[in-house]
Amino acid sequence: MKARIGLEIHVQLTEAGSKLFCGCKSNYRGMEPNTNVCPVCLGLPGAIPVPSRRAILLSLASASAFRCAIPTAIVFTRKHYFYPDLPKNYQITQYEKVGGAPVCSGGEVEYLEPGSWEWRKVRLRRINLEEDPGRTVYGEGGILASSHALVDYNRSGVPLLEIVTEPDIPSPRDARLLVESILLTLEYIGAVNPRLEGAFRVDANISLEGGDRVEVKNIGSLQDVEKALAYEEVRQRRLLEAGGRVERETRHWDSIRGVTKPLRHKETEEEYLYFPDPDLPPVIPGRRLAEEARALASKTPRRVLERITGLGVKIEVAWSLVSSKPAAQLYLAAVERGADPWLAARMLGIDYKGELREAGRDPGDPGNWPSLDKILDLIGYVERGVYPYDTVKGLVLPRLAMDPGVPLREVLPEAVTDPGRIVDEVLTSEPGAVEDYLRGRTKALNYLVGAVMKRAGGRAVDPRLVRRLLLERLEKMRGGGG
Amino acid sequence: MTREEAWRILQGFRREELDPVEHAGRVYERIERWESRVNAFIEIASWDLVHDMALDAARSYREGRFRPLEGLLVAVKDNISTSFTVTTAGSRMLDGYTPPYDATTVSKLLEAGAIVHGKTNLDEFAMGSTTETSYYGPTRNPWSLDRVPGGSSGGSAAALAYGGADLALGSDTGGSVRLPAAYTATVGLKPTYGHVSRYGLIPYANSLEQVSPMARSVRDLALIYSIISGGDPLDATSLDTTPPVDPWSLDPADPGTLRICIVPSLMEGAERPVVRSFMKVVEWLESQGAIVEEAKLEYATHALPVYYTIAFAEAASNLARYDGLLYPSKGGSGVWEEYVSEARGAGFGLEVKRRIIMGVYALSEGYRDEYYLAASKARRLVRDEIHGLTGRCILATPASPVLPPRLGERLGDPIKLFLMDAYTVIANLAGVPALVQPSGLEDGLPVGIQWIAGRAGEELLFRLGLLVEEYTGMAGVIAGEG
Repeated sequence: MKARIGLEIHVQLTEAGSKLFCGCKSNYRGMEPNTNVCPVCLGLPGAIPVPSRRAILLSLASASAFRCAIPTAIVFTRKHYFYPDLPKNYQITQYEKVGGAPVCSGGEVEYLEPGSWEWRKVRLRRINLEEDPGRTVYGEGGILASSHALVDYNRSGVPLLEIVTEPDIPSPRDARLLVESILLTLEYIGAVNPRLEGAFRVDANISLEGGDRVEVKNIGSLQDVEKALAYEEVRQRRLLEAGGRVERETRHWDSIRGVTKPLRHKETEEEYLYFPDPDLPPVIPGRRLAEEARALASKTPRRVLERITGLGVKIEVAWSLVSSKPAAQLYLAAVERGADPWLAARMLGIDYKGELREAGRDPGDPGNWPSLDKILDLIGYVERGVYPYDTVKGLVLPRLAMDPGVPLREVLPEAVTDPGRIVDEVLTSEPGAVEDYLRGRTKALNYLVGAVMKRAGGRAVDPRLVRRLLLERLEKMRGGGG
Repeated sequence: MTREEAWRILQGFRREELDPVEHAGRVYERIERWESRVNAFIEIASWDLVHDMALDAARSYREGRFRPLEGLLVAVKDNISTSFTVTTAGSRMLDGYTPPYDATTVSKLLEAGAIVHGKTNLDEFAMGSTTETSYYGPTRNPWSLDRVPGGSSGGSAAALAYGGADLALGSDTGGSVRLPAAYTATVGLKPTYGHVSRYGLIPYANSLEQVSPMARSVRDLALIYSIISGGDPLDATSLDTTPPVDPWSLDPADPGTLRICIVPSLMEGAERPVVRSFMKVVEWLESQGAIVEEAKLEYATHALPVYYTIAFAEAASNLARYDGLLYPSKGGSGVWEEYVSEARGAGFGLEVKRRIIMGVYALSEGYRDEYYLAASKARRLVRDEIHGLTGRCILATPASPVLPPRLGERLGDPIKLFLMDAYTVIANLAGVPALVQPSGLEDGLPVGIQWIAGRAGEELLFRLGLLVEEYTGMAGVIAGEG
C-alpha cells in the first residue's frame, strides 16, 4: 500500500517589511496586542488595500525559485467566511477560478535526499499570495471551554504564501524534507525567517491505495510534519488491513498527544462567494520587478551547494553548510578572503555546527555564529601552525558555540612565543634521551616531544612544530658530532 | 430667486467685501429655518465652533494668506469618513461610529481651508435613490416638502438647495449625486473612475463608485472638483494621470464645436415633462450651432440589471465586515454565529438586507456564472459601447425618467425604485464622467439633464455646463427664497 501525500504550506513573508496591503510591520513578534494595526488591516470601512511592492517582489522571487512562469498579471480575489479574527470577514487571496491570477501556477520543488544524495522533485499546483488573518487567543480551557476569546489583529494582513503541491510525495519523511527545502529556499531568497514562531503552518492530505483521502490540519513544526503523517499512515494501513474503509475526512493533529483526531463534520458545503477584489486592479509586474525577482531567486540552496562542492568539498559536508544559511554565508565569505576551502568547511560545517547541536543551539540562527574575522583568525592560526587544529576544535569551538561574541584571546590557550628556546632547554636537560636518539633509537624523539610539551606547561605549541625543531637540531648534532 | 455661488462668495472674501463670519451666520440661519422640516443633516457642528473657524478664515483673508476654499462651508455625505465627527452611513449599524481617520477627499478639503460643518443624510449605506432608507429618517426636497430629494446623496443636495452649505461631497455609485442634483436644481458630477480617491468612502460597490462633488453651479462644481481630484497613494484604483482643472479660467464651450448624441429609445419610458424640459435644452444648443444627432445603443439600454447584479454582489461582500465586533450594533448571544446574526439583524435596515441577500445569491456557487460573471461580461459590452459613442459625441439624456417622486411612493416597489437610475448607471458601468445640471422647472419642480463624456472629459463637461447655464439661468438658485 503506497502512500500519496500532498501538502498545503502557509508561509509568512516575514521579511517583507510591511504587511501586504498597508504599512504596518510584517514581523509582529514581541509587540503588545493590537499595536501593529491601522485602518486598512483592521478592515475599517473605507480603508482600502494598496499592494506592497516588496511583498509582490518576494512572492514573484519565490515563484521564480520554484520554476513557475512569472504571471503577466496578478489578480486578487475575495474569499468570504465569518470568523472573529478576520476583520473584513473576507480574506484577500487569489482564487483562479473566478478570474484570480496567482503568483504561480505549476512549478516544482526539489529537495535533497540525504542518504542517496539525490535531488527529488515534487510538482506544485500553485502558489497564492494572500493576507494572514488576526489571531484568536482563548482563555483557560482553550477553544472548547474558555469563557471568552480575545482577538489580536497584529498579524492581520501579514503577507502569506499558500504553497500547494500535487499529491506526489511518497512518504512522511519525504514530506518533511520537502517542507524543509521550501523553507530553506525561501530563507535563501530573503523572503522568510522560518525560525520565527508561527512563520509557517502545514496542512497535509494523505491517501493509501484502496482508501480515500484524509486531510490533516494544524501542523506547526517540521518534526510534526513527519510525525503526523506517519501516525496517519499507520492508522489508515491498520484500518485497511482490518478490512475497514478510509473515508474522506478532515482530521486535526494534536501535537501534544501525538495523534490525529476527527474534526466535526461540516454540515454545509463550503461557500466562499469568491470574486475578484474590486479595490485591487491587476498588478502587472514590470520588467524591473521581474528582473529583481529573478536575481533574488538565483540564490537557491542548490546553487550554493553546487558552488561549494565545486571547491572540492564533499557533498555531505557541503550540505551541512548549506542547510544552515549562516554557515554557508560565513563559509563563502571566508573562502573569498583566502581561507582554505576544506579547512573552513571542516571547521564550520562539521565541528562548529556539531558543537551547536551538542549545545542545543539552532545552527540556522545567525546569532549563534561567530564573526567572519574570528573564523579567519582561527583558520590562519591553524594554517601557520600557531595552534593545532585539535586545539581549536577541542578548546575554542565549544566556547564559541556557547557564546559566539567571546573574544578569541579569552578562549585561546596562551601561545609559546619561542618554541626553539624550550626545545634547546630540553635538549640540554635530557642528555640521556638525546644520546639514545643519536644512537639510533628513534622512539626517544617521542619522549623529547613530550618533554617539550610538558615544559610548555599548557601554553599552546604545535607538537608537529616541536617535532620538526627537535629533528633539525638533533640532525645538526649528529652531523656536528659525526 | 435668490442665487448664491461659492466662487462669488470666495471673490467677496478675497476683496474683503464679504465677511466669512457673516456669511457662515447666514448659512446657519437657513439651517435653523429649514432643517427641522428637511432633515438634510445627520450631524451639524455647533455654531460656536463654526463661528471660531470662520473668524480664523477672516483673519487669513486680512493677512492675505488664504487657501483655495478658505471659509467656505462644505457639507459631507455621512458615508465619507471624518475623524472629527460621526460617520454612520445612515445605518443603525454605525450609529455613533467615529472613524480614527479622515477620507482623502476630506483631508484635501480641510487643507484647502474649507469648514466641514456637517454630515449629510443618505440612504442606508448609499443603497437607494430617494434618501428614505436612512436610519435617521427621510430627507425632504426643499422645492416641495412632500417629495424626495433623490438619493442616495439627498442630504447633501437638499442642504445645497436651501442654502445650508456652499459646496458638498456626495458619492455616486449609480446616480447617487446626479439624481439628487436633478431633483433639487443643483449640479453634480460623477467623475471618471479613478479621478477622485475613494479612500475613506464607506464602500457600497467599489468598482462603480466615486466620491463626487456637488454644488449649486457648474463653476462651483469645477471649484470643489479641482480640490478633491487627483491620484492617491492610498487608493490603488485612483489615477495619477488625472488632468487638473482650473475653475477660474473655464469658459463656456463654443456651441459650434459641440457634437451631442441623443438616444430616442432610451427616453421611451420617461415622463412627458421630463422629455419636454430635456428637448428644450437640446434644441437651444442646436440653435446655437451644436450638432445634434440621434444614436442607437444596443447594450446600454439593458444596463440596469447588469448594474444591480454587480452592485449587490460587491455590496454583500463589503457589508460582511459588520459583525458586531468593531462596530456599534452588537449581538446578545454568547455563541458566535448567533451573535453575528443578532448584530446584523438589528443593525441593517430592510433595503440593505434585500441587497445583501441578492448579492450573496449572485455570487453563490452554481449561480455565479449565470449572474455575477454574466453581468461582468455584459458590463464590458456596455463599457465598450459607451466608450465608442462618447469618443464621437457627448451623450445627452434626462437625468431621471421621472419628476421627483412623493415620499413613500417608490419605496414599497423595488423595481420602480431601481428604474429611477436607468439613465445614470450607464456612466458608472463605463467609468466615464457624467454631469447633471438643471434643465429647468416643470410645474415648479426641478428637472435635470445629464451629459456623459468620454474618460477624462470633465473639463469639456464643465464648459458645456457653463454654456447651458446661460440658457437655463439656474446657476446658484436657492429654493423657496424670494
